[in-house]
Parts: sequence; C-alpha cells; structure tokens
Amino acid sequence: MISRTERVVNYTVLVALAAAVLVPVGYFVLAAVSPDRAGRPALGDLRWENFATAWRSADFSRSMTVSLTITVVVVVVGVLLALLGGYGFGVLGVVGEKALFPVVLLGMMISLEAIIVPLYYQFRPLGLTNSVPGIILIHLGTGVPFGVFWMRAAFRALPRSLFESAELDGAGPLRMLSRVALPLIRPAVYTLVLLSFMWTWNDYFLSLVFLHGDNQTATVALGVFQGKHVTEINLMAAGGLLVAAPVLVLYVFFQRKFIAGMLAGALKE
Amino acid sequence: MTATGTRPPAGLPGTPSRPARAGRAGAPRRPSARRRRSRWIGLGFAAPGLLLYGYVVLVPLLQSVQYSFFRWDGVTQAVWVGFDNYTRFLTDPELRSTFGHVLVLVAFFSVLPIALGLLSAALLTRTRLPGMAAFRWIYFLPQVMTSIVIALVFKRIYAPEGPLNEALRAVGLGSLARSWLGDFTWALPALGLIGTWAGFGFCMVLFISGASSIPPELYEAARMDGAGPVREFFAVTLPGLRGQLAVALTLTITGALRTFDLVWITTRGGPGTSTLTPAVALYRAAFQNPQVGQAAAIGVVMALLCLLIALTITRLSEKD
Repeated sequence: MISRTERVVNYTVLVALAAAVLVPVGYFVLAAVSPDRAGRPALGDLRWENFATAWRSADFSRSMTVSLTITVVVVVVGVLLALLGGYGFGVLGVVGEKALFPVVLLGMMISLEAIIVPLYYQFRPLGLTNSVPGIILIHLGTGVPFGVFWMRAAFRALPRSLFESAELDGAGPLRMLSRVALPLIRPAVYTLVLLSFMWTWNDYFLSLVFLHGDNQTATVALGVFQGKHVTEINLMAAGGLLVAAPVLVLYVFFQRKFIAGMLAGALKE
Repeated sequence: MTATGTRPPAGLPGTPSRPARAGRAGAPRRPSARRRRSRWIGLGFAAPGLLLYGYVVLVPLLQSVQYSFFRWDGVTQAVWVGFDNYTRFLTDPELRSTFGHVLVLVAFFSVLPIALGLLSAALLTRTRLPGMAAFRWIYFLPQVMTSIVIALVFKRIYAPEGPLNEALRAVGLGSLARSWLGDFTWALPALGLIGTWAGFGFCMVLFISGASSIPPELYEAARMDGAGPVREFFAVTLPGLRGQLAVALTLTITGALRTFDLVWITTRGGPGTSTLTPAVALYRAAFQNPQVGQAAAIGVVMALLCLLIALTITRLSEKD
C-alpha cells in the first residue's frame, strides 16, 4: 500500500541502522577468532582455539561456576518469592495492602546506588561480603519489587470466578495457587525466569563490590582478564563472547518471549 | 506475546494512581470474616519476600540517609557533619562536574535512542514487508549483551589502532584519528554513543508495542485527509505513544544518571575527570579511598533525583 520510493527509503534507513548495530559486534567476533594478537580480522585463518585458550588462561571454569550457582538460585528462589507475593497481593489480598504495596513499588524506583554503601558495611561484620550466599540475598531482596509487581499483574488478569469456584470446591489457598492458577500464568512465569536470569548473569556492579578472589563472577573475572591481557585483544574478545554466551543463546532460542519480557522490564529501574 | 506481556506498559513506573487502584480492588464491600482471614493468609504468602526486601532494601535505604550526615572512613569513629556531604556534592568542582556530564549523557542515552527508536518503530510498523522481524531482532540484540562486553567491543572500536581510526585513515581523514576514549573533548561523547547504540532497540520495542494499540481508524482518517507518512507520524503515531514515551524517558534519563559499568570499564572516569559520573564518584568514595558519608550522600541524591524524574514525567504524561 506504500509507494516504491517510500519502500526504498524505508529499507535504506533500516539496513543502515542494522549495520550500525551489527558491524561492531561482527568486528568483535572476528577479533575473537583472529590469529593476530591485535585482533585484526583474518578471514582466511580462523583460530577457534582462542576460545579454549581464553577459557583456560582466565580460569573461567571457576568464575562461570560461581555465576551459574548465583543465577540458578536467584532465579528459582526469586520466582518462588514473586509467585507467593504476587498471589497474596493479586488474589488473596494482604493486610495493610494500601500502605504496603506503594512501599513495594518504591523499590522499583530507587536505585541500587542508594543502598549499596550501608549494605556493604552492614554485611561485612556478618561475613556476608565476599560470600556467594550474601550476594544471592541481595539479588533476591532487590528483585522482590519487580517480581511481586509482575506476578500480581498476571494473577489479576485471571477471572475472579475461577478462584471463587475453586474455593467452593474446597480448595485451600496453596492448592488454588499450584493447581488452578499456576498452569494459567505460565507465560508470565516464563518471562520472569528469562529476565531474572539475564539481570543476574549480566550484573557487574554488585559482584564488583561484593565478590573478590575465588568468588568472582564471570563478568568481573572478564574485567580482570582484559586488564591483564591488554596486548592480547583476540583472547580478550574470545573471553567476552564466552561470558556473554549464556544470555545470547537464550536470546536466540526464546527471542519472541525475550522481547515481550524486556517490555515488561520497562518497569524495572 | 502473552496477555500479560502487553499489560505492563499501561502502568508507568511510579504511577501514583496505581496503589490507589490496588487498594480499592482489595475490599469491595465490608469485608466478611472469611475475606479478612484470606487477607491474613495473603500477608503470610507475601511475608518471605517482603521481609527480605525490607532487610536488603528498606533498612539500608534509611541507613544511607543516616550515614550521609557523618564523616567516616569506614574504620575509625564517625563524626557528625550535618549537611556537609551534601554541600560538598554541590561545591566540590570534581563532584559537581558529574552533573554536567550527566546532562551530556542524557542527550546520548535518552534523546538520541528515543529518536532512533521512534524512527525504527515507525518504519517497522508502517510497512509489513519481509525481513521486519529480522530487523527487530538485530536492533534488540545489544539489550541482551552484558554491559561489560559492550564496553569491551567499543573499547576496541575506539582504540588508537582500532577500526574507526583505520577507516578514517583509509578515506583520507587521518588527521581526525585519535584515541577517542583518551581525549578530553571526545571521551564523553564517545562514551555517550555507546549508550545510544545499546539503548535504542529497547525504545523501539516499547514504541512498537504502543503503536500496535493505536486504533487503525485513526490512520485511515489521516490518510483520507491526505496526510503523508511524515504528517501521519506526527498527527497519529506520536500522540498515541505518550505513555510509552513517558516510560522510555523515565528509564533512559535515570539510566544516564546511574551510568557505571560502561564508564568503569572504558575510562574509569578519565581522562582527568572528563567522564566522571555520580555512580563512579560514589564507588570511589565508598570503596577506594573511603569517605563513606560522602558516598552515602551521593547515593541519596541519586535516589531522590530518580524518584523526582519518574514522578515528574508520569505526572506530565498523564495531564491532558
């Protein structure tokens, strides 16, 4: 329905933007498999072994394990907390809700920077700095507002009559949650899992402040690695791709859900 | 897209009317005994999350305010200094410069990505041609990349012997080549462009979703009146995206204010202090040469600014 000129102009602009996104990424990927330490792309000589070399010399086995442990626990426990909280606020009602819910929303607006300083000095005497359980607690606590908000919206989108009839059949609150509601809100749970995985895995600031030495996460280890290998650009790029890989793989497989989920993420500060 | 997937953009962050609505829905009439019992059970369900949130977020938030009135190196006795940490934030040239940098970053992290997001969303929604899904996929790609990897990518692009300078030399503009991130004049804009690159795909997705809820009749009416694509955009699309614009503005402006990862990995605030942001200043004051009270004051100001920005934009966007 649109004119030929307009179509040509549209495609030109879209292709130019796509190139602006892809060229830097492509250059980085080629640098990662380059035989040259300066990372100059060499199409005829792709060194895939750069990935293995980078993996070994950055000791990624250790830091990736730390990142994976943190991420899996935060995703599983965080989604559980969000489900329970969202169900409370969205279906059962919560005593003091009028005061409590705005307080929860506040958590989506204030930034990590506002709490990081006391958090650090409070956690230090408790032995929770430089500890994996410590950082898991922080991820979980800061994730509650968005999780509860997100699951509450999903529960409220379900028809009330559904819960009323289940209640008449004698189902308790927990049973209603697990048997009646959960199967219906699976898409929302799914999105929350993806977002929470991405946010936790990609975190840099919290890990930088709270974890050192053997407890370093992959993102922080990558920063250290690039500091040490400023002259080996190809290995540094290979390491970067390894650290970004888990989320990139998820993106490739779940791209529709990811984009929908990021939209929802518009609400997280 | 799920039903829930399209739901959230309607609710802006910090929409003041939201909690009120939530309250109303909770108690339609006088609550029966059973209803009251259910609300206590509801509190029980929400309690684990709320307690953790209180412990990790709310308590430290209050303590941040308390810390900000003291001078403390993290070890020895803290000294009460009143509002000194706040006034220093406004008078110390190095700390004050961070506000100016944030303003520049807002142009690159907010204005440019929103403009590009609008442009790409308008082009992608107006035409239903093959390849549109691929463009959306590409533009959104930077969103899922770890910020540290994005920083490394651009550190490479901007390097003295990197592809950008090589390209300049190849077309005979070698005199413009420089170490972009090491240049007092260019480091901040160069850094800002990374934010533009990373952020416009997110704005685009937001606007595409908003545009899909604009009634097609409005477009038909505009076309009947003989509006071309440009007039159509300004008369129909842009007004229809007000809510999404508010979300995008809030998130990108607070994002610019809070920039840490990108700066920390690429320039550490340098050269000199030319790319110093409040978050980097906070990190230094808290964990490098501890002036804990100063760091807390920076954190409190940042939180207040974020809150203020969110509330102002929401308020403005709701006004008719």
